[in-house]
Amino acid sequence: MNKKASKIFSKIIFWILVVYLFIYFVFPFYWTINTSLKTENQLLMTPATFIPVDHLTGEAVFSLQNYKAVFTNPTFINGLKNSLIVALSVTILCLIIGSFAAFALGKLRFKGKRFSLYLILSMTMFPQISVLTGLYAVINKFHISAIPAMIFSYFLFTLPFTIWVMTSFFKGLPNSLMQAANVDGATAFQSFYMILLPLTAPAMVTTGLLAFIAAWNEYLFALTFTSIEESARTVPVAMALFTGTIAKQEPFGEIMAAAVVVTIPLLILIYIFQKKLIEGLTAGAVKG
Amino acid sequence: MKTKRHSLEKNEQKMALWLLLPSFVILFTIAFYPLGSVFSKSFTNERFASSQKTEFVGMQNYQKLLSLKITKLEAVSQDSNGTIIYEDPIDILPREPFRYKEISQFNIFSNHYVFSATDPAFIVSVKDTLTFTLLSVALETILGMAVALIMIKNFPGRGGMRVAMLVPWAIPTAVSSRMWEWMFASTRVGVFNVMGQWFGITNGQFPWLADPSTQVWAMIAIDVWKTTPFMALLIMAGLQTIPKGIYEAATIDGCNGWKQFTKMTLPMVKDTLVVALIFRTLDALRVFDLFQIVFAQKRYSMASYSYYQLIDNKLMGYSSATSVVIFLIIFLFIILYTKISGGVTDE
Amino acid sequence: MIKFKKFLVLFITLLTAISFSTFAGGQDEMASASTEDAKQTITVAAGAVGMEFTLAEEAAKTYMESHPGVEINVLQTPDLTTDRLGLYLQFFQSKSSEVDLYQIDVIWPGDIAEHLVDLNQYGAKEFTDAHFEAIIQNNTVDGKLVAMPWFTDAGLLYFRTDLLAKYGYNAPPQTWDELKIMATKVMNGERAAGNQDFWGFVFQGNSYEGLTCDAIEWVASNDGGSIVEPDGTISINNANAAQALDRAASWVGTIAPDGVTAFGEEDARNMFQAGNALFMRNWPYAYSLGNGDGSVIKGKFDVSPLPSGKNGMRGASLGGWQLAVSKYSKNPELAADVLFYFTGYEQQKKRAIVGSYNPTIESLYDDAEVLAAVPFFGSLKAVFLTTVARPSTVTAPRYAQVSKVFFDNVHKVLMGESTGAKAVRNIELDISDIIE
Repeated sequence: MNKKASKIFSKIIFWILVVYLFIYFVFPFYWTINTSLKTENQLLMTPATFIPVDHLTGEAVFSLQNYKAVFTNPTFINGLKNSLIVALSVTILCLIIGSFAAFALGKLRFKGKRFSLYLILSMTMFPQISVLTGLYAVINKFHISAIPAMIFSYFLFTLPFTIWVMTSFFKGLPNSLMQAANVDGATAFQSFYMILLPLTAPAMVTTGLLAFIAAWNEYLFALTFTSIEESARTVPVAMALFTGTIAKQEPFGEIMAAAVVVTIPLLILIYIFQKKLIEGLTAGAVKG
Repeated sequence: MKTKRHSLEKNEQKMALWLLLPSFVILFTIAFYPLGSVFSKSFTNERFASSQKTEFVGMQNYQKLLSLKITKLEAVSQDSNGTIIYEDPIDILPREPFRYKEISQFNIFSNHYVFSATDPAFIVSVKDTLTFTLLSVALETILGMAVALIMIKNFPGRGGMRVAMLVPWAIPTAVSSRMWEWMFASTRVGVFNVMGQWFGITNGQFPWLADPSTQVWAMIAIDVWKTTPFMALLIMAGLQTIPKGIYEAATIDGCNGWKQFTKMTLPMVKDTLVVALIFRTLDALRVFDLFQIVFAQKRYSMASYSYYQLIDNKLMGYSSATSVVIFLIIFLFIILYTKISGGVTDE
Repeated sequence: MIKFKKFLVLFITLLTAISFSTFAGGQDEMASASTEDAKQTITVAAGAVGMEFTLAEEAAKTYMESHPGVEINVLQTPDLTTDRLGLYLQFFQSKSSEVDLYQIDVIWPGDIAEHLVDLNQYGAKEFTDAHFEAIIQNNTVDGKLVAMPWFTDAGLLYFRTDLLAKYGYNAPPQTWDELKIMATKVMNGERAAGNQDFWGFVFQGNSYEGLTCDAIEWVASNDGGSIVEPDGTISINNANAAQALDRAASWVGTIAPDGVTAFGEEDARNMFQAGNALFMRNWPYAYSLGNGDGSVIKGKFDVSPLPSGKNGMRGASLGGWQLAVSKYSKNPELAADVLFYFTGYEQQKKRAIVGSYNPTIESLYDDAEVLAAVPFFGSLKAVFLTTVARPSTVTAPRYAQVSKVFFDNVHKVLMGESTGAKAVRNIELDISDIIE
């Protein structure tokens, strides 16, 4: 009896935690959606309402005007396209280059491993602003256009992270796998991409997702590099250019609508990939 | 046998070089000039976008940035309540070569001291950033671990929860900062003031973002919300490499939940956890977007301070010195982590 | 090994291809630019989306119609002032000739004067008389006129006409003390009537440049000077200035919400527009928004010059934007011509009627058509003739540091952490360190 009761009890606690976490993570996003459906007059209401409510009559009414404004904004739509190109390129290239390096650092034997790892890490020990001016000068000198400039500079913060995470994963894979493949006549590289790489799928998906999001959301570098190339502006820059019809006015509702529009594709992407995550794991334990 | 192993090793060394080459080439090309120029400029008085001649000033920028002093204040008089009135620091702090400005006053035993610096804004920003980092990273790790443990269990709606979990990380910082700024509004337009009023904590008018005692906590709240998914995701990836079978075996052997966690789970995710911690700490020490968007010049993080020195004051040399100091502080942390976690590679 | 090498070769080829396309792309752009040299291009960095941008584009179009050999390209820039300045500085640092005309804030001329041409050399004299003198003076650095005024802004007192009438007042307050009395009475009345979110006075109390604007108004209207006088004297450390700051601090929590120490322009406007404030200090932009559709205060408010403190002195902080020509422009003469057109009578009139932008040309405030479209401009002329400019030009290139010192200390006074006297003394010491 005791065991059954404690089982039910822990189940209840479990579900309370799940619900609580759900609310904690999603509430601000819910608030964003709430705000995006309000007109300016509804936004000024005190106390702030949890559903869009007409400020005079009190009945629930919401408006799509903010979304309309967002979708008719060409800079924003163009920004979505640019962000996709940049983020996708960075992620794919980063995963390829990163996994090469990680395999070497995690599985091969050679001198200077630790030094290499820390050298790579040291690139991320500077605040972005200190790198910005120097980078901009280089980009100007060589007339590099905005999109490649963004792709290359984003490596600065996605590559070290990818390498480190993947390295720790490769390290965790048993050496027996490689040795067995060796005996079977495979070269090191073959055992890399035919056997070990697939086993690091969870790490690849994870770092890929995180790299994608980081590149998608980057603002400062994008702003500076696309300053004269308007056609290359990415989404965060487009959002910073949102003003109301009058200067100094901050069309908060529109900004929130843009936020929703920007986040939804990311959420869909995550949903698709988290399924792959589960599949990759249930495809068999690594050890034993 | 020996020759075979020897040539194998040589092969591996060669291949490792090729595999690492792309990474190094890319990182080196991007980082060499910018980082090199940061170092060299920190020893000059260069101004940004200015035709003023740049001169070598040696350690002057660092001197101005980092000079600290603790001075004793003498009692001057007593007022009607018996409270002792001390000298005004403005009168006694040295002014050459740079003026020392008060940061705070404190008592040790019966002596009254003033803590001052030539660049109080920077010193405070270092303190704030360190506080922010320690608290955020700690909370995010604990919360992230909890979330990860929950998420690897199989339950209905797990897919939806995984998406929900990544919402904070997916929203661009520029947007989530503004969102939270709106929620922290100092009147009842802000949801926190509304809720604070329900629970009787505030009168509905509390300026969360202007009151020094709540500012850094507001930042921590926003960052924890935003970055816990990152930690959770990484820890989850690490947890998933642990074969499920060993837990069942342990339970049969009489080992219960908490022990399983500390003696089995933790050691096996150690590697991933260390990497996650290192990068989270690095990011937290370099926090910029959050402070710039929400606080602008009200309260600085080390990185946003460097930014304002560069853009608003156009002091490129000084800003570069700030960047170098930030780098050194971060470097210290990394060394600390390595010592504690017992090394990263087995060499 | 063979397979691996193949992979690597493929990869390096890919990378090289991308790099080449980058450079090739750059070359293409340059090639096309030279064939288009028949048309001269002027690039204007002005405004973000919305009305500002639309008006700039229309002005460009009109100019291009009468000057067929010229192509004007309007560039969108971020609205966030620091971001915009950061961008401009990057351009100047690289001596870029990409942008010819820059829209600059009223506090920037001193800081970036070395990158701008002297408009007097391009015939500015024929236009300058028509503009408000205070602004022309603000834009003159070491004898050089580095920017033409484009549209201006000044701090105003907004007040609720209906509430003043309800409580027996027939005119807005003339002094700060009067304002406090009126605000207290109305606030108590409205609170008793059930509106617990009602406050007497809202303004910009957050620790940022906007506070410098508000605070310099308090100080100047109390005959306390303007922090640093045009001749370079640091005048802030005086009893009148200290009194002004203490007075402002006394409003926090009494007639102004405790949260006012975190208020920016929009926060104040939100409160006023929601009907929850009697008085507001804000820029003219809030006027047309307050009269927008669905606003609860539509038609129930008006503006007046800010109250005076001592000796009948008044001060309205000078804001606004100017247009300047880059020293690195390839076509400064043509750029200057475009500039004079953009800032000329015709364009300013259009902007006033269509977008409620405050012109910098004095005579437009008496123009019948303008007044028909925006009647409240009539009351603005008096305000624009009594503006107090922030000491940006005299303290250049260190204005940003000076302003920070000022608003930091003022904020401490508002938060109750310091007194007016201590603050002004600190400010004087710090500023003298900065400008040596």
